Amino acid sequence: MKISTGKKTDFIVTEIILIIVSFIFVLPLILAVTMSLQPTQSVFSFPPKFFPTGFNWKNYLQAFNTVPFNRLFLNSAIVAIMVTLGKLITGTLAGYAFANFNFFGKNFGFSFLFATLFLPAELIMIVPLFAIMAKFGWVNTYWALTIPFMASATNTFILRQHFLMIPKELEDSARIDGAGPMAYFVKILLPLSKSMIGGISIINFIYAWNFYLWPLIITMEDRMKTVQVGVKMLIDAEGANNWGVIMAGTVSAVIPTLLVFFILQPLFVKSLTRSGIKG
Amino acid sequence: MKKIIFVTLFVTLLLISSSVFAADKTEVQFWHAMGGWRIELLQEMANDFMALHPDINVDVQYTGSYGDTINKLNVAIQSGVAPHVVQGYDIATQMLIDGEVAIPMQDLIDADPEFDIGTFMPQVLNYYRVGGKLYCMPFNSSNAVMFYNRTLFEKAGLDPDKPPKTYKELYEYSKMLTTKDDKGNVEQAGVCWNLHCWFFEEFMAKQNAALVDNDNGRTGRPTKAIFNSDAGLKVFNMWNNLSKDGYMINTKVHDWTGSRNLFISQKVAMLITSTSDVALMVKSAEENNFELGSAFMPIPEGAEAGGVVIGGGSLWMVAGKPEEETKAAWEFVKFMAESAQQIKWHTGTGYFPVRKDAVEDLLAQGYYSESPHNLTTIMQLLLSTQNYNSNGAIIGAFAEVRNAVESNVQKMLNGDLTPEEALAAAEKDCTTAIRDYEGL
Amino acid sequence: MRKWIPYLLLIPTFVIIVLFIYIPAGFSLQTSLYRVLPFGRGMNYVGIKNFMRLFSNADYIYSVKFTIIYVALTVISTILLSFLIAIQLIKKLPGVRLFRTLIFAPYAVSPAIAGALWTFMLNPVVGHISYFFQSTFGIQVEWLTSKPHAFYAIIFASIWKILPFDMIFYIASIQNVPGEMLESAKIEGAGVMQRTWKIIFPLVSPITFYLVIMNIVTTMFSSFAIIDVMTKGGPGQYTTNMIYRLYLDGFYFQKQGVASAQSIILISIMIIVTLIYFKFGERHVHYQ
Repeated sequence: MKISTGKKTDFIVTEIILIIVSFIFVLPLILAVTMSLQPTQSVFSFPPKFFPTGFNWKNYLQAFNTVPFNRLFLNSAIVAIMVTLGKLITGTLAGYAFANFNFFGKNFGFSFLFATLFLPAELIMIVPLFAIMAKFGWVNTYWALTIPFMASATNTFILRQHFLMIPKELEDSARIDGAGPMAYFVKILLPLSKSMIGGISIINFIYAWNFYLWPLIITMEDRMKTVQVGVKMLIDAEGANNWGVIMAGTVSAVIPTLLVFFILQPLFVKSLTRSGIKG
Repeated sequence: MKKIIFVTLFVTLLLISSSVFAADKTEVQFWHAMGGWRIELLQEMANDFMALHPDINVDVQYTGSYGDTINKLNVAIQSGVAPHVVQGYDIATQMLIDGEVAIPMQDLIDADPEFDIGTFMPQVLNYYRVGGKLYCMPFNSSNAVMFYNRTLFEKAGLDPDKPPKTYKELYEYSKMLTTKDDKGNVEQAGVCWNLHCWFFEEFMAKQNAALVDNDNGRTGRPTKAIFNSDAGLKVFNMWNNLSKDGYMINTKVHDWTGSRNLFISQKVAMLITSTSDVALMVKSAEENNFELGSAFMPIPEGAEAGGVVIGGGSLWMVAGKPEEETKAAWEFVKFMAESAQQIKWHTGTGYFPVRKDAVEDLLAQGYYSESPHNLTTIMQLLLSTQNYNSNGAIIGAFAEVRNAVESNVQKMLNGDLTPEEALAAAEKDCTTAIRDYEGL
Repeated sequence: MRKWIPYLLLIPTFVIIVLFIYIPAGFSLQTSLYRVLPFGRGMNYVGIKNFMRLFSNADYIYSVKFTIIYVALTVISTILLSFLIAIQLIKKLPGVRLFRTLIFAPYAVSPAIAGALWTFMLNPVVGHISYFFQSTFGIQVEWLTSKPHAFYAIIFASIWKILPFDMIFYIASIQNVPGEMLESAKIEGAGVMQRTWKIIFPLVSPITFYLVIMNIVTTMFSSFAIIDVMTKGGPGQYTTNMIYRLYLDGFYFQKQGVASAQSIILISIMIIVTLIYFKFGERHVHYQ
């Protein structure tokens, strides 16, 4: 559905509103970038600066020297990609099951899955989950960082909602054409859900990219740590001092996610009117 | 899609092939909470150690903040993958003892005639001795100290060579140092310290007042908080008066950065903070063109002279490891406690050298004449009367106690409670927490 | 064969959640009946004492009340604002792709860093926002340490953090609304407000249904990070909600048993809320 831009004043007003809103939302990040480009002492100057007065790359150099960010970026990327894929696979399969089938135990199964939303891993089950990882021999491995998070009530739920929005007629006509349920799933349902899957992928990727507590606890070597733990390494226990360097690390950690978002936008935002429901 | 499968396969192969490492050396795992440039410093020190002991490999791991480290230790111990040496922070002391996770340092010291604990400063040892036994090796110790802006003192007509010594002087000076604009907003305040129970503890210790019973928990397990005393009330009143009259800026809880920020940008003239901030303050004063002064923490007029309490962290040896590894870990701990390392650590960070001979060496090198603020901090420590109160409280439920005090202080500063009420409420909450922990 | 398909489809999901969520959760939650000794040295059975203590604790009751207000305000504001913003962001406006990325930024930042940045800006004297307010309006506010400002600060930061999440889903699903319906409504003289609220909003109600419950879950379970960094639950426990108390008890005070008891209470509340929500909610959702 394309919403046509109406009169000129509408256009300008909307543009201004968007500029203001964007500014508010990205404000803290502007601050982070500014702080990352200043020597630490200037960070505490008054009046507070919002925009960088110089381009001091030293902070970035120091951040990358203190923490093996290259390796950490790789780790975070691997973890984020694997978790995203895992969630998409389990989510689409399960969402399909709940949206398009009726079977014994369906409601119980759905509730059982849904209830996992109320069991946040990091807060209540770190000790026993760690013990299980130890039993499997997965401590300090990519398995421990990814597999426990590959099922998702969120993904399943949102995909179920989305699949429910697709009319039954499509499925019926597919069956008439001789396509089995899995063929329908792969050839028709999934392509129709591209935008939703694109949106979810970004959410999943970033969620996994921002993991801090679990990677901190389950990794036993620097080379297995993830980016967020790396950023924390720049912050000293008794209240940080080197904010310039910390912000350099933070900005570096955030840029990949924003890039992913910017690049993947076309996947879930279409600029043309389309409706697979027509005809 | 294909690329992703390829990457996954590649990574799996990497994992499998990288699970082989040299098994000749004895492995020692060391977990710490020192971030920033201190990571490199610790790694350097570990490298120096490994050069002297080629048969030992020390794996230095940053494991998050003090709290994160304790949590990770908690999880690891319950699954049998604990490290050999871990840095615990001051308030976790009793909890670590109760958890029976460590080999008391005393045992290792007694078994090792080479090691002379007598060279260590009693002020520091006394904190970590519980029931006469030393449980951990002091490593990064700090106190609270007051920095002040000599330039602003002069501007306000105060003598920069005479920093405030009593609460009354603190109040008077703050009043003179505060400037407000025509709308009544504070442009520059007299004093600031971040809202942290640690400062309350230091204020109490300097007046020789106790926090909990049984000699601050040192001659027996604490059963109740007893800081609702004259001394406690003086602290709360002082804090409250400074705040409500606008001579003090309050930060949010544990906002070390916020308070430093205010002092460095010259929005407050006096800052009470940790001694580990000396280097930062010296550099910042230079950068921002003001003259730095340092002084002892103030005490109420006529109060008994007490001392400052040790803060920071220490090294703990985890029990239950194979003998060879424990021996190697002990060598490492001894190394880190040596004078040379302590001096390196002190000059690289801001924590005290915890040994008398290290202080002697620094003195001989002329270090203290070049570094007057470090002299202030070490003098405050050395001139502290040593008794149960200045040794610091030993409380299993210390974390909760701190939270209760901070919470009630906030209520007081917001005007919800009077200082008397806040003090009483804090004491009551702390007693509840203590009783809960002790199982009473 | 078709009979077995749904079960097969669900195997991967269920294996993972049973092994890595339910089993560990079971172990954890049973400690709610115990007093766990430091470092798991042992456990003493105490029955329902943990629960009784909580129910008779005035601070705990306050945190329940605060949670309700916090969740309600945050969720409602976020849903409405994200919907309105999403509509703007699918128009063909110059720079819209950039706007989307900028508004998305809060989600990409971890809560701890986000909180730290807001804390900087809200420092009462030297913070950027304080400076702005002082130079423009001449007022000085202690954003994070006074009532009621701390409350607003937390809610603002929470909305700021969660909105991009909702926005993405709204963008994705508003596009699936058939253009013809809007066109015919325009022809029939329906104004922008009517078109927005009487046509588009109901048509994306399946997503709204999902987003509301997801936002409730996020504010109930993930808000401790932002609260910890910005106000530490203060001043004087003013901004302490149930999950933050749980976090304090479990992670800072190391009171495992008490934390587990709180988890059980939280989970029970969520189950009840969800049951009611599903019963009432699905009735108002339009599927095509």
